[in-house]
Formats: sequence, structure tokens, C-alpha cells
Amino acid sequence: MRFHRNCESRFALEEAQQIVIQWPRAAKREDLMKLTRRTLLAAASSAALLIQPVASAAQELPRNVRLVIGSTSTGGDTYQNSAIVAEALAEQLGINIKVDAVGATEAFKALGRDSRGNTLMIFHDQSYLGNLYGVTGYADPFEGYTVGQTVAINPGNAYLVGCDSPYQSMDDILTAAANGDRVRVAIQPGGVSEIGFSAMKNAASVRAPGSEENIVAVNTGSQSDKNQAMWDDLADVINGSIQANEQFTQLPADDQKCMRFVWITARPATLEQAPAAGMGNTTRDQMLQYASPATSVTLDGTQDFTFDKEFFFLYNKDMDPAIIDQVDAALTAIYDKGAIQDRQKASFFIPNFLPADEARQHLTDKRETYAKVIEQISGGS
Amino acid sequence: MEFLSIISPLFLFLVVGGTFVGIIFGAIPGMTATMAVAVCLPLTYSLGLENGLALLLGLYVGGISGGLVPAILLGIPGTPSSITTTFDGYPMAQKGEGEKALRIGICASFVGGIVSLLALYLAAPSLAEFAIEFSYVEKFLIILFALTVMAALSTDLLMGIFSGFLGIFISLIGVYDISDGGNGKLRLVPPGTEYWLDSGFSLLPVLIGVFGLAAILDQAELGVPKGQSRGDVKIGKGSSFSFSVFKGQTVNLLRSSGIGTFVGILPGVGGSAASILAYSQAKTFSKKSANFGKGEPTGLMASESGNNGLTGGALVPLLSLGIPGDSTTALLIGAFTLQGIQVGPLFIGNNPDTWNAMIFAMLVANIAMFAMMYFAIRYFALVVTIPKHVLFPIILMMCVIGAYTINYGIMFDVWTLLIFGLFGWLAVKLRLEIAPFIIGFILGPSAEIYFVKSLESFGTLSIFFTKSWIAMLLWVLIIGSLTASIYLSRRQAKIAATG
Repeated sequence: MRFHRNCESRFALEEAQQIVIQWPRAAKREDLMKLTRRTLLAAASSAALLIQPVASAAQELPRNVRLVIGSTSTGGDTYQNSAIVAEALAEQLGINIKVDAVGATEAFKALGRDSRGNTLMIFHDQSYLGNLYGVTGYADPFEGYTVGQTVAINPGNAYLVGCDSPYQSMDDILTAAANGDRVRVAIQPGGVSEIGFSAMKNAASVRAPGSEENIVAVNTGSQSDKNQAMWDDLADVINGSIQANEQFTQLPADDQKCMRFVWITARPATLEQAPAAGMGNTTRDQMLQYASPATSVTLDGTQDFTFDKEFFFLYNKDMDPAIIDQVDAALTAIYDKGAIQDRQKASFFIPNFLPADEARQHLTDKRETYAKVIEQISGGS
Repeated sequence: MEFLSIISPLFLFLVVGGTFVGIIFGAIPGMTATMAVAVCLPLTYSLGLENGLALLLGLYVGGISGGLVPAILLGIPGTPSSITTTFDGYPMAQKGEGEKALRIGICASFVGGIVSLLALYLAAPSLAEFAIEFSYVEKFLIILFALTVMAALSTDLLMGIFSGFLGIFISLIGVYDISDGGNGKLRLVPPGTEYWLDSGFSLLPVLIGVFGLAAILDQAELGVPKGQSRGDVKIGKGSSFSFSVFKGQTVNLLRSSGIGTFVGILPGVGGSAASILAYSQAKTFSKKSANFGKGEPTGLMASESGNNGLTGGALVPLLSLGIPGDSTTALLIGAFTLQGIQVGPLFIGNNPDTWNAMIFAMLVANIAMFAMMYFAIRYFALVVTIPKHVLFPIILMMCVIGAYTINYGIMFDVWTLLIFGLFGWLAVKLRLEIAPFIIGFILGPSAEIYFVKSLESFGTLSIFFTKSWIAMLLWVLIIGSLTASIYLSRRQAKIAATG
């Protein structure tokens, strides 16, 4: 098909060249008209010929691709996940993909500048949660960009208390808030760390309207800061992760650093798939005791709030959709082979590939759920 | 001693090779130890945990150490923690003592590395227990203590302090990042520049611009006098190196190494603060404090033993609490995660062989660093003999590449380099002082975060005086440092006045 179109275009180009050469002889009016018509036709065909290779190149990923990520850390979960996916994708497509940890703001800028497909992005739920929380630099990814395939879940998002804490469970925490006690929760504001906190406030509001005022945020930065906030008695509950905090739960109870899980936000189905190697000395059954339904943080009085931190692709809004189809096909083939799942599980990720259309719908629904939680909390407090 | 079975020829090769590559990364302005570790991190997946760590620890030690080469020979800190190395190392190179300065720096680095390694091996869990006594308040006071060096480094006290505060002010431009616990809002950004300035100015492009590009512009303004087309500094012109230079420096070396190790164990305080604090204390306690900044070996020793002291110190919270002490050790967590190993308070007890292998790798990396740099130094030192019309374009190119790559390809970082190169050139003409400016720029963001977080957490300014005995001790040190700086400044002025 492409060959025929090329032939036609080349013929028109040759014809146009002949007309230019014959120009002095085309002096008559009708010849001029014919000439003009032919010239326009030839010019259009020539333009089509010139544009055609560019257009065909834009239908697939270029030879060198830059994969920007929404984190500046090359040791964090976003980089690890992206590196695993980029390596597999590069091998599958026979291209070069370089992962650049430029951070959310710079990544969105870089993606917004490039509609040719040279720049792609991988990030997680922070991309839309940042927007929902009104953080500077976070545009609505569903409006400004094209949301693509999901690739994995990090199931580790958790909340912990000190071993000397009077709170044994989330139920104790919500009861305390209902009884008028102030519960301080150390989080990093504006995203994944805050959504669980918002859910706690929402659950408090559902259980005893007004009690959500007693659950207050202690804004911190890194995990180190959150841990320190607990050890300094500046926070009663901290946001953490299974990977970073599990060993603290194994310390003797009289150790100042000892912690206890009270809530793991992942869905039980997600925890069922989590690799045992990443759970340390805590068994899967014990982990499930801290997750829904055993630990209930209600969303609306009937169902529990859950949160899985999912990693997914983002594309430039004006990029050729054929590239997304190409990535869909490549990732389908990669996940069918199965090797990538082993690598992801070895790094405590749960493989979660969904083709772009399915992923977009799933993430849109997920965003809507969390938007309601945030809206209710904002309206109520 | 089961860990000895881990020590294979490949293990040793990876440590030594990693150290070599790390030195090269550290020696190129704009390339850092963090970048070296980041580039090689994916390789560790196929190497296995111990071999992967051998490579990364070699890169870490080499990267921190290599920073002294451009700091001494070109006056451009190869890494932010080499900033104070330029203060005395570069003047020594200009006096024809480049080779001597490099050898002093390497020996001091080795001492710093070994002292911190001993601290790591013998007292990691206890040091980590001590580290968690430092809340936002104590960390702010540590940064304030480091900021007192601005006064010590000032030729004109008033102008120096003004320059330092200007540095702090410029460092705060941009968003108050949520990853620091901030509110995610922009501040100090002029309207219309939000697109470029939302992340503020990156440290390394500023550093290279102020020290590298500004020096090139300065030289370009002077021109190359006839007969000096080749480098006008001969490496053997000044006095040669002898170990006797370390006579009477034991206290300085141990104190500086100790400061480096101590700052390393405090997560988030940052490597630059280690060498700045070590340098500041060396100047305060030195009988030759007037020579600091003019090519005094004592200052060079303090800076280099301080920044290499960081290497072992930063691993203390990583291996005892699972909390990285600096940006490079944060990457090491990635290596553990890639192998499915958790780092936290139980790591050392649960993984004694890996722990011993890491200590051994650090020891070999320090020895390899010393051997490679000490004996290859005469070749490094030849850089000063390269004609400036050849050398400067190469430096400029490296600076631009370094600035572009430091944050993985952000063009505004190149503009930052050029803007601050011009600023550095003009600042000298305006009598602004560059050293206090850059120290303010480096420490400003940490000072802000810890100050704001202290107030948010405790709600009163009096907490800075009443939080703990550590806070009280730090105030004594801060006041002592300031008093000593003012006294020394006045004494120098008096000596200068009496001729």
C-alpha cells in the first residue's frame, strides 16, 4: 500500500519537473490553465511525498526514546519500576529507551513539549492526586495528557503507630477521634501519602460527623522525617510502607524505635499476590489483618476505602495514537512472555498490565472515587 | 569469617574498578558520586547483592574523593562537598604547589575514610541511636553552626555576611516542595518566570558557574600576556610534598574526620555541611587562621578529611535504620531492593556476611583510592601546564555538559550555569564575597526547612534553646565560633593596620 502511494507520488513529481522544464512552451491561455491545474496537482503530490515519510515515522516510536519519570530519585520505586519496563520495552521493540529521573514538574513539562513520541512518561497516582490536592506543577493528567497503560502496583502503603501507643487498631484511632481526642498523623502532603489520611478523616466523619476535626496532619517530608516525628512524639500515627517500616515492627516493645502496623491500604486481592520475600518476618496472614476487610476504614458506611499505588504511562495529548497502540502491543507481548513479572515481583511490585483504553477507564474511576473523598473532607472541614 | 567466601577476584575487581570510575566522575566538574552510582545501579541486578554493593561502594568512595582534583587544580569543586577544598587547594596550585596540594588532599581523604569506616564498623547501632536524638530543632542548629563559617570566611565581615544572606535568599527561590513537607506553593518567583523558576536554581550548575565559568570570564578579561601561551603555573615550582606536613595535624585530621562522620549520620543535613563545618573549626582553632583561604594546608586537610568522613557516616543510618544519610546512599537502598533485601534496624543482625562484605569493600575502596590517586597524581597535576586557550574551552564544555546532565537533561540548568557564571564575574567587581555567598546558597534550603518545621512542630521560638542538652551545647558552639571569628577578624585588621 505504502509502495503504490510512493509510486504515484513519484510519478506526479516527475510530471511536475517536466512541466517546469517545458514552461517556456506553455504560453497559450489554456495551456496556462492546464499548467496551473497540473502544477497544483503535482505540488500537492510532491508535498504528500515529502510529508509521507515523516507521517509514517510518527506512527511508531522513534529509535531513541526518553522516558521521564515523576520522581527525582533513582533509588525509589518509580525509577525501579520504570527501569524494568523500559528495558523490556526497548528489547521488545529494538529501540533505545533512557529513563530520566527529572521529577514531576520537569517531567510534565518535557512531555508537554514533545508530541513526536520521543518523550514518554511513567508515574503513579500522585500525578492526579497532586492535581486534586491543588499542588503547584500538577495539571490534570486526564485533561492535559493522555493516560496510558498501567504496568505495576506497589502494595506497601501503610500506617503505623509506636509500640507504646494506646491505639491498637484503626478502630481505636477513629473511636479516639469520636471521643474528642486529637490524633496527629505524619504525612507528606499533596498526594499518595495524604490520600490515606483523607480517608481516615472521611471515615471519622461517616462514623461520627465532626470527629474528623480531631484527626490532624503533621506535614513532613521523607520517610526519615515521618519516623523521626513519631520518635519525637510529634505524631501519633505515621504514613510509611511495608518495605521501609516492617523491620521496626520486629523490634522489642521497649525499644524507642519499635512500631506496629495499624492499616495497610492495599486491597486484599493485591496483598494476596505480594511476594513473601518483601514482607520480612511478617506473614501474609498477618498483613491481611491490617487490610480491608479485617481492618475497616469506611468509604461511605457500606464499603471500605482501599488504595493501591499504581504505575502507568502518560503521553503527550497531541501524540499520534498509533504509538500508544504500538506500546499496547509490545507490552502485551512482554507480559505474555512472563519474564517481566518475575523481575517486578523480585522488587516487591505486583504486575498489573492493562492496555491503554482499559487502564484509562480504570484510573478515571479510581480518580473519581478519591476526588469524592477529598471533596467531602474539604467541604466538611 | 564466612563472609570471606564472598570475597572473590570479581568482588575485588568491582571495588577497584568502581573506585577508578568514581574518581573520574568526581574529577569531572558537574559529574558527582551520586551520578556515578545512579548510572551503575541497574548493573547490580545481574551482579548479585555483594558484588553489586562492591561496585557501588567503590563508586561512592571514588566519587567523593575525585572531587578534590578539579577543586585544587582548576578552582572548580568537582562535587558540592569539595567546596571548601577550593579555598586553600586552588591557591596552593596557583603558587605551583598543585602536586603537593593533591597529595595532602588524598592523604587527608584516606584518613577521613578510614576513621569513618571504623566508626561505622564499631559503633553503627549506637551512633544510629544517638542520631535519632536529633530532631528538626537540633538539625537546624547544626546548619546554623555551619553557617557561622560565613563570618570566618569573610574578608570584609559586613559584606561577607550580606553575601551569605544573599546566597540564602536566592536558594529559596522556587516552590516550597511537598517532598520536604512544604505546601507546594511558589515563593520569590517574579511573575512570568514561573515556568523556569518553579524548581529554583540547581546547586551544581550554580557552583560550576560561580567557580568555573566566572574564573574563565575573569581570565578572558585579563587576556593572555605574551610569552604565557602555555600554562604559567609549573607544578614543581613550589615546595614539594613531604609527610612532615602532617606533623601537628593529628587533632585537626581526627576532629575533621569526626565532624564528617557525625554529619553523615544525621539524615538530611547534607554532605556539604560536613566539609564546611570541618573547615570552619579548623580555622577557628588554627594558629595560622590568617593564612586560611590563601593556600593553608591545614584548611585543605580539614576539608578533605571532613568530606571523606561522610562516606562511612552516611552508611550508619542506612544500615542501622534503613534511612539514607545522603543522596548517594539513598541510591544504595535501590540496590538492596533490587535484590529483595530490606534494610532497617535488623539488617546487620540478619545479614552479617553482607555487612562484613560491605565493610571490607569500603576498606579496599579507600586503599584503592589512595593508591590510584597518590601515585597517579603527577599526571593529574599536569593539567595546569595545558595552555589556557586550550584548557578553558574544554573546561567550559565539561561545565555545560555537567550542568545539562546533573538533573538528567534540563536545559534551564545550562542557563543557570551561564547566569551564575556572569554573576560570579560581576560579584567580585561589586565586592561581594563568593565563598559566603555559595555557603549560604548550599545551606539555605536545609536551614529553612528545619526552622519552619521546628516552629510548626513546637510552636514557639524558645524551643531552640530549651529542646535538649544537645541544643544547649550547639548554642555554646555557635556563640564560640562567632566570637572567635570576630576576634580573629579584628586581630587581623589590627595587624594589617600596624603594618
